[in-house]
This record gives sequence, structure tokens and C-alpha cells, in this order.
Amino acid sequence: MAVRQQKRLFSRKKVCRFCVDKELGIDYKDQKTLRNFVSERGKIIPRRILGTCATHQRQLCSAIKRARQIALLPYSGNAQS
Amino acid sequence: MRRYEQVCILRPSLSEEEINRVIDNTTQLIQDDDGSVIFLNKWGMRKLAYPIKKELQGYYVLCDFAASSAVVSEIERKFRIDDAVLKYLTVKVSDAISIEEVEAARSEAEAKAIVPEPDEESTDSEEDKPSKPAPESAAKPTEEPKETATEKAAAEADETAEVTEVNESEEKSDTTDQETEDAAK
Repeated sequence: MAVRQQKRLFSRKKVCRFCVDKELGIDYKDQKTLRNFVSERGKIIPRRILGTCATHQRQLCSAIKRARQIALLPYSGNAQS
Repeated sequence: MRRYEQVCILRPSLSEEEINRVIDNTTQLIQDDDGSVIFLNKWGMRKLAYPIKKELQGYYVLCDFAASSAVVSEIERKFRIDDAVLKYLTVKVSDAISIEEVEAARSEAEAKAIVPEPDEESTDSEEDKPSKPAPESAAKPTEEPKETATEKAAAEADETAEVTEVNESEEKSDTTDQETEDAAK
């Protein structure tokens, strides 16, 4: 019981950023925004860490993959950071 | 009629004329098939996230147009042949678009006045080239050596631990051997 309570204390409830801010669209051309959802190595940050909802995470993933195709984001490595 | 969005990356060494030639060719193809260009946006020179055909920079052109699928395949075929195009990406924005909608979208795009994206990477080609790679190379070593250093330290610590263990066991075995020898004597 004690352990559970501690966990509750430390975990902050994550909220989907795209649900909160409706104006923040997901666009593969918007390199600046997408950078926030990619690790330094260029990996897509998982949902359990970001806290985005399933719908938006899916859209985000496809957007990042598109951005990679046209060399706006790296496939790997932190070139052009 | 479908609405498409196309980004293509042109070789940075091209002159203004050659860039316009590529753009004119595509718009011509679109218009030949009763399609229409909604807006055309030149992003200009940008640094690529990874080298494409040994080029580190590219001239980006974004084109939003309404056309049939045959036109797209024709444009892409031309792009593949054309040496000036490094890479392209065509995305279908909507499945069906009427002429009125095209007009509406066009006026909307004009109203926005095509705000160029704030992009520090967009450069006047050669001025930025020498300055940009320097911070990158400076940033990289600071990150990677840390990892490797910690890894190495950990590995070394492990090794030394093993070595000491081995030494101890050897010593023990030596002593036991001696003891056994003594006992035999």
C-alpha cells in the first residue's frame, strides 16, 4: 500500500499536447514542432513518455516518417540539430 | 480530381533559370490535364538532414495542386529521369476536389500570403556553409565521448574486478597445491 501511494505522488498525469492545444496541428512540413517529439538520436519518442493520445501519436508518427523522407528530419543521428 | 501536395528537393547548384524550368514543366503537365495549381511555394535553400546524392543542401519547392492520379505518376516519372531533382514526396490531401473548392483554396492561400516558415537553416547557400558544420562537429564530440568514456570506465572496472578475482583464485589454488605437496611429503 505504501509503495502504491508513493508512486501516485511521483507520477504526474500526462496530457496529450495536441488535445490541449487545438491550434497545434500535426504537419510533416513543420520541422520545428516535430523536433519536440523526436529524441536527440532522431527516434520517435514513445507515447508512454510523451503522453499523447493514440490518435495523435499515430498522426505524429506518420508525419515524422514523411519528414524523414524529404530530409527535414534525420533517420538517425543528430545531424542538423 | 484529387488534391495533392508535393515537395521536391532540387540540386543546390542549379541556377534560377533551371529551377524555374523544372517548376514550369510540372505546372505545364498539371494544366495539360485540366488540373490546376493551387499554390506554389519556394522554401529556398535548406540544409538536408542527411546527404542525398552527395548533396548536403537542397532547394525545396512545395506545390499544392489539383489533378488526376495519372498526372502525378507522369510528374514522378519525369522527376526520376531529371537529374536536377534530388528527391520528391507527393501526398494526397483530399480524395475529391471540385473546381469551386479549388478556387476557395486558392484564395485562402493568397490571403495567407504564403508566410515563409521561419527557418534558420535556409541560407544564402555559400555564406553559411563553413560556419554551420563547425558547431555540429563541436557538439558531437562533447556528447559521444561521455557515453564511451562511461562505458569504458564501467568495462575497465569489470575487467579489473575479474582480474583480481582470478588472481585470488590462482593464489588459493597455489596455496592448496603447496599444502597438498606438503601433505604428500
